[in-house]
Amino acid sequence: MKDPRKPILEGNLQTQNTAEQTMERLIFSLSELEHLGQTLISGHSNFNHSSKTYLRITLGTLQVTRGAILRYHPTRQNLEVVASAPDEVFFPLTVEPDEVANLLQHPFIERTAIPESLEQFFARSAKLVETIDIHLWVPLKIQDEFLGMIGLGKFLGRETLEAWEMELLTTLAHQISIAIAYSQMVEGIQSEKFRLFMLAESAPQICQLLQPEAAAEQVVHQAVSLLDANAGALMLTRPELQQLEMHYTFPETLLEDSEEHNGLVIPYGEEAPAPPEVTSADVLKSVVNEGIPGHCPSKSDTLFGGKDLMAVPIPGRDGDVLGILIVGDKEERGGSITPFTDEDVILLDSFAKQAGVAIENAHLHQEALEARQLQAEMEEARKIQVNLIPDTLPDIPGYEIAGHYEPRGPVGGDYYDCIALPTGRWGLAIADVSGKGMQAALLMATLRAGLISELTRGGATAAENREQSNLDSAALYAELTEMALILNSLLYASGTEEKYATFFYSHLNPETDILTTLNAGHNPPLLVKSDGTSKWLGEEVGGIPLGMFPNDMVSNIAEYEAEHVQLTSGDVVVYYTDGVTETVNVEDEYYEEERLVEASKACKDSDAEAIRKYLYDSVMGFQGEADQFDDLTLLILRKQ
Amino acid sequence: MLNKFDIQIREAREHAVIETSGYLNDALGEQLAEKAQELIQGGYTQLVINLEQTTLINSIGISILIEIIEALTEREGTLNFCGLSATQERTFRMMAIAKYAGIFPDEESAIANL
Repeated sequence: MKDPRKPILEGNLQTQNTAEQTMERLIFSLSELEHLGQTLISGHSNFNHSSKTYLRITLGTLQVTRGAILRYHPTRQNLEVVASAPDEVFFPLTVEPDEVANLLQHPFIERTAIPESLEQFFARSAKLVETIDIHLWVPLKIQDEFLGMIGLGKFLGRETLEAWEMELLTTLAHQISIAIAYSQMVEGIQSEKFRLFMLAESAPQICQLLQPEAAAEQVVHQAVSLLDANAGALMLTRPELQQLEMHYTFPETLLEDSEEHNGLVIPYGEEAPAPPEVTSADVLKSVVNEGIPGHCPSKSDTLFGGKDLMAVPIPGRDGDVLGILIVGDKEERGGSITPFTDEDVILLDSFAKQAGVAIENAHLHQEALEARQLQAEMEEARKIQVNLIPDTLPDIPGYEIAGHYEPRGPVGGDYYDCIALPTGRWGLAIADVSGKGMQAALLMATLRAGLISELTRGGATAAENREQSNLDSAALYAELTEMALILNSLLYASGTEEKYATFFYSHLNPETDILTTLNAGHNPPLLVKSDGTSKWLGEEVGGIPLGMFPNDMVSNIAEYEAEHVQLTSGDVVVYYTDGVTETVNVEDEYYEEERLVEASKACKDSDAEAIRKYLYDSVMGFQGEADQFDDLTLLILRKQ
Repeated sequence: MLNKFDIQIREAREHAVIETSGYLNDALGEQLAEKAQELIQGGYTQLVINLEQTTLINSIGISILIEIIEALTEREGTLNFCGLSATQERTFRMMAIAKYAGIFPDEESAIANL
């Protein structure tokens, strides 16, 4: 006989078992919720890292074998599958803004009851839905902020979740939402903390860099790091040319694809064209012209590889724009590029102010170094130059000779000399080398060495011998001309186009009192005759300065020619450099040749030393309180 | 050096060294995270990251380094850094990375202190 109580007992037993199971699952769920809470407060900032734990707890608690957690990225407007069971890789799912709004309207979305407004979204999610076999979606949110979704697969042994399970799921979803929000907050704090630290750290660091190139490199690197950019550049202004010049790019290949990769130069000062013709170069111009930040969206043109650019002016101490600092393509985790924000502009603008100080410091330091180097070079050049000027002048039988050299301002290139030739003749030379500093001093040394070599080696000396034996002045002319060409060639080979020397050479035969002269572009010396008349020597036959052109061109332009004059007792020859005739007084008047003639005539009857002093006093008296920057050189030859 | 990035792995019996070169941003950081993950999953819990050739790091690079620390901490592993510039070392201390990972001047001392 059957026990009539059996169905009841079985029913009671089943109910009891179900209740026990539910109780067990509730206890398990509470324990897992505690675990989930611990994960949340574990200090692990990265949600993606903890998401697998959250998924495991969710699936275990609800007795579901398959599922996924998706995290929403507002800037990318997509959902990233951060954890899935089974563990597979899925492409991010695009979510349109209106779809986000619709998802926020539903606490749960069942596979069988998808709202019409979300059909497209779920159609795009087909691969994920099929792989995981998702039956129920739970949007994750805190208030109105959409944070992601949980997708759950088939429920084990049942079609739907019971009411208490739905409540549990709601609690789990809320916890996971908090975890995502916490992760975002920590990431944001970390990022801002990093940026503020870098901003504070970078200022003293870049200001310590004294090399302009190193400062430019560091400024760009720090800006790139500070803004999470993947490219950067520094362009500096050249106000005299009204142009921006590229000084540093990161990476080096930034301009590789543009036509200007060999050195980008952008003229500014012009008005930028109206949109839509505005290019990235126009944006950079306007940053300089208006002194305000500019933005150039990606793909505007190929300059800078079509990157999304933000540029800010770099202010100098006096308010001028020193240049512009550019960053390109702000990165986001996951490799996507996100637009620069208003906060980014403020941050880069603040950094650019520090960069301005650093760049100016480096340039000032560089200028100071160059000035110190120039000063040392000038000192060396001065020593060389002084050594080239004779301390004393020789006694020439029947003649008086006096010289004066006064360096005024930077080292110049004046030179004079009186060289005794082996045959008892004399060579008098005066020259003015162009330029200043070491190069001028070395060119002068080259000229002197070449001259002495030529005079003592053969050349004019050989001709002189012929002159002595044959009285062949034509041969001497030819030899002097040849000497001039040799010196021209020597100086042309040793200097640059801008380096040359005006040169006047006189060959004196004290036995015949014949002065044979050759002029290479120098101020013609003044001959004051004993009777008070005067003439300029070499004025008619002046060739071009030495070293300016090669010999073949010299022959085409103006050949060197010699001439001779017969000196008589009381004749005075005044050799000088342009520092004499171009002396300026306080009224900006030049001393000029006329005053030299007058002064020379006034003192012609004195001895050479007195003439030198008279002429020097005349020039200095004319100059008065005015500044003078050119050397002053006088060489006086007087026939007794 | 900053214009190219690269990752070198040197595996030893008990530890592995990851050496990066280039700008530690998202691109290099993701590669670094992937390599570190492979090493951790392969059983390595003692890692050294040599940043001598990485003079530039952005906030994404920093967050990736923090994730590697977290992943190792979960397995009770150790991470030491070496080859840091003075600025990087200050950054690591300020970002609390130095609290969970060692900082050493060179690879040898970083390995010795794992």
